[in-house]
Amino acid sequence: MPGVYISYPFCAQKCTYCNFASGVLPAELEGRYLDALEQEIARHPWRWTPESVYLGGGTPSRLPPADLERILAGVPGKPWTEATIEAAPGGITAELAAGWRRAGITRVSLGVQSFVEEELRLTGRKHTAEIVEREIAILRGVGIEDINIDLIAGLAAQSLDSWFASIDWIERLQPPHVSVYMLEVDEDSRLGLEILREGPRYGAARVPDEEQVAEFYEAAVRELAGLGLARYEISNFAKPGHESRHNLKYWRLEPYAGFGVDAHSFDGGIRWQNTDEVREYVSGRGVVVERQRARESERFWVGLRLTEGVRARPADLARHAEAIERLKQNRLLEQEGDLLRLTPRGVLLSNEVFQEFL
Amino acid sequence: MDPTFIRNFSIIAHIDHGKSTLADRLLEVTGALSQREMMEQVLDSMDLERERGITIKAHAVRLNYKGDDGQDYQLNLIDTPGHVDFTYEVSRSLQACEGALLVVDASQGVEAQTLANTYLALGHNLEIIPVINKIDLPSAEPDRIREQIEHVIGLDAGGAILASAKQGTGIHEILEAVVHMVPPPTGDPEAPLRALVFDSWFDPYRGVITLLRIVDGRIRVGQEVRLWSNGKVYEVEGLGYQSPKPVPCEELSAGEAGFMMANIKTVSDAQIGDTVTDDKHPAAEPLPGFQEIKPMVFAGLYPVESHEHGRLREALEKLRLNDSAFNFEPENSVALGFGFRCGFLGLLHLEIVQERLEREFEIDLITTAPGVRYRVTTRGGDVIEVDNPTRFPNPADIEQIEEPIIDATVITREEYLGEILKLLEEKRGTQKKFEYIGTGRVLLTYELPLNEIVLDFYDRLKSASRGYASLDYHLAGHRDSPMVKLDVLVAGDPVDALSMIVHREFAYDRGKALIERLRKLIPRQMFEVALQAAIGSKIIARENIPAIRKNVIAKCYGGDITRKRKLLEKQKEGKRRMKRVGRVEIPQEAFLAVLKVGEES
Repeated sequence: MPGVYISYPFCAQKCTYCNFASGVLPAELEGRYLDALEQEIARHPWRWTPESVYLGGGTPSRLPPADLERILAGVPGKPWTEATIEAAPGGITAELAAGWRRAGITRVSLGVQSFVEEELRLTGRKHTAEIVEREIAILRGVGIEDINIDLIAGLAAQSLDSWFASIDWIERLQPPHVSVYMLEVDEDSRLGLEILREGPRYGAARVPDEEQVAEFYEAAVRELAGLGLARYEISNFAKPGHESRHNLKYWRLEPYAGFGVDAHSFDGGIRWQNTDEVREYVSGRGVVVERQRARESERFWVGLRLTEGVRARPADLARHAEAIERLKQNRLLEQEGDLLRLTPRGVLLSNEVFQEFL
Repeated sequence: MDPTFIRNFSIIAHIDHGKSTLADRLLEVTGALSQREMMEQVLDSMDLERERGITIKAHAVRLNYKGDDGQDYQLNLIDTPGHVDFTYEVSRSLQACEGALLVVDASQGVEAQTLANTYLALGHNLEIIPVINKIDLPSAEPDRIREQIEHVIGLDAGGAILASAKQGTGIHEILEAVVHMVPPPTGDPEAPLRALVFDSWFDPYRGVITLLRIVDGRIRVGQEVRLWSNGKVYEVEGLGYQSPKPVPCEELSAGEAGFMMANIKTVSDAQIGDTVTDDKHPAAEPLPGFQEIKPMVFAGLYPVESHEHGRLREALEKLRLNDSAFNFEPENSVALGFGFRCGFLGLLHLEIVQERLEREFEIDLITTAPGVRYRVTTRGGDVIEVDNPTRFPNPADIEQIEEPIIDATVITREEYLGEILKLLEEKRGTQKKFEYIGTGRVLLTYELPLNEIVLDFYDRLKSASRGYASLDYHLAGHRDSPMVKLDVLVAGDPVDALSMIVHREFAYDRGKALIERLRKLIPRQMFEVALQAAIGSKIIARENIPAIRKNVIAKCYGGDITRKRKLLEKQKEGKRRMKRVGRVEIPQEAFLAVLKVGEES
């Protein structure tokens, strides 16, 4: 069953680590954006009924519930099996949460990133651990139990001790789902750029090194498993039955339709993506900027991200025989019959593995 | 034409002193080119020449000039390259002339290269006409420069022409001076043919084209001519001159310069310096030829993609057709596979060949560190010449090593003297002369090992003097030196392409610096990689590159699979461009790291 992704790129501030097409945009654009989004959804020829919806961004939790309802009204299939909204801690009230429930939201993904004050300060985020604790209670109060917490390994000022402090908060808050991302250092984020230029801003000089980040990640895998949160994808951990149905579609190459700026779609054969310019998007002309047939090889390098691995066809095994053998020798890949899986070592070096299957 | 009305001259100038602009101006004023046809620096025809503002190949351009005396003159401007690497080209061109314009920048003054070329011209008995150029600049000091020309070169500069090629001032005076001061050629048009080949190149459509200066007699289309050196006979199929576009003609006679096409198949058949004579009525004696030019700097050129080896060979062969100064032979490296050991006149020459290969032939190259040719006497008494570190004999078999030594002339402003003297000391130089030339300028003569020049000397000289110091050098012999071979081991395996020959006293520092640099350049691998520098079996420096810990894309933003794929493809492409040595992937820059170690030691 396919899924729907809806992008809402507006934020209260641009986080220092963020390299997405999102951020602080003029308020007047917001109204025009919602209109354009509503129209794009309305134009869609629904040949299937989605079972999952995902509102990402940006900060979709900034949307007034009435607008959220208006947008979701165009998406068939309510009540969806899973409907997630990404939320920034710090503005979640009981009214808002109740509004989400009415709109059909079943799951909230909290962009916590860290529970440590100094780390949060350097990212530009305004919340605290206590605020997160309070807001989780609010969500549970209105019956939203499916909660995800995002953590980032590799933030400025992070140490193994402070990383464990964040993990301790996971234990205390008991979310059924956790995502652990590793900081991406590239020119698209302020922090990434500052690190590349070896500058001092945003704590760039205090970012942990490759060794430490790898250690943080491995510690998280271990500790979260102890809390019953098993790793089911490179960055995703869940209690049994709480895996994100929507995100699994990406890795299992199931179809999804994306709406809004920089949204991506896949119909099972073709991939396309919308413009990442909000102004271009609201103009309504030529929203789709890139369209191409999905490659056969995706099955491997996308699917291998999952802990469950990928079932290879005999022809695949034959074609990639040499690479598979080499990767096995390097202890990056393991094979059980026709099933291929990353080893724990292979997870951290997964790009090295995926390149072999491109 | 009656030789009395012919003038053959060239222009001697330091880079940036305005030679090309002056040449363009002369073409424009004599009507060889209309203003509309003028493109900046017409004579530098290769892209590379125009971009770098240097002249690589010689040219001979005929200008028709009506003098103030009402007489029509044929002026042949024989243009020459201005860089030290191409001194041999200058020397050849000068031999085809009776006079030269010495162009000196009115604010910069005489530079080392100008000095060397002027002496070369005087050695050929050329009449020198000093021209002080760029007098339009506010910083121009013509009086000081005039004094400098007299003092440094010993030339009477009282009549020096003040010019601004940019603004067109002094151009008429220059043309009149060429007519009145440069002697007409002395050859006899009625004597048996003697023509000097002063350049030749291969044209894919017309075969070999030779640039000739007719010394005696005449050459006509249809004539049977003989090349002195190999006795081969050819029928002249076409003659002409550049104006600057090629203009065909039926005959060239004594005193004139022009080009000849005679169905000569390869450039090596029409060697520069050879004499062309008539087959039926040959001259009694050939013209004095040129010294054979020998490469001084050597480096290995390897294709990044090993299957491009054949294409690289073809490209080198094509380049060689037009550039007899460089040579190459097949070489095999354990690390880099099949490639070529190439000899060059100098570093600029190397860079030019390298750029032309990458640009005109689109071949990705790895160039190993440039080195020089050592003369090694073995214990057995054999003397061998070694220009490739991998062929260096076992230390136990070496009786003596001699390295090539140069005489270098550096001209600098006084304020940079401290830095420059330090640099020359560091490069194992021995001072031979220290002389103040005019106010605030110093001329230094040093004996230096050539091997110290090829690493990074020129760049460092420029940065020590903010670009002002100039350098000229020529080979002055060999000297007994305690040189050793420094090897680099990556993950325990010697990487032959990283070996270099260094002075024993520098070996430790260079080895350490090289290893440190390599540690930064070689990306982390799947396993820990040891880097070692060694002399023989003795390890003198060691560093470790820790194993790669993570290479993972964490976030999936709204199912953006395409972005992930592009990132992976970029990584994969980066790896493809590396060279796999044993189990280690080494990026191309690492092979050039050897070049830069001097800066840190």
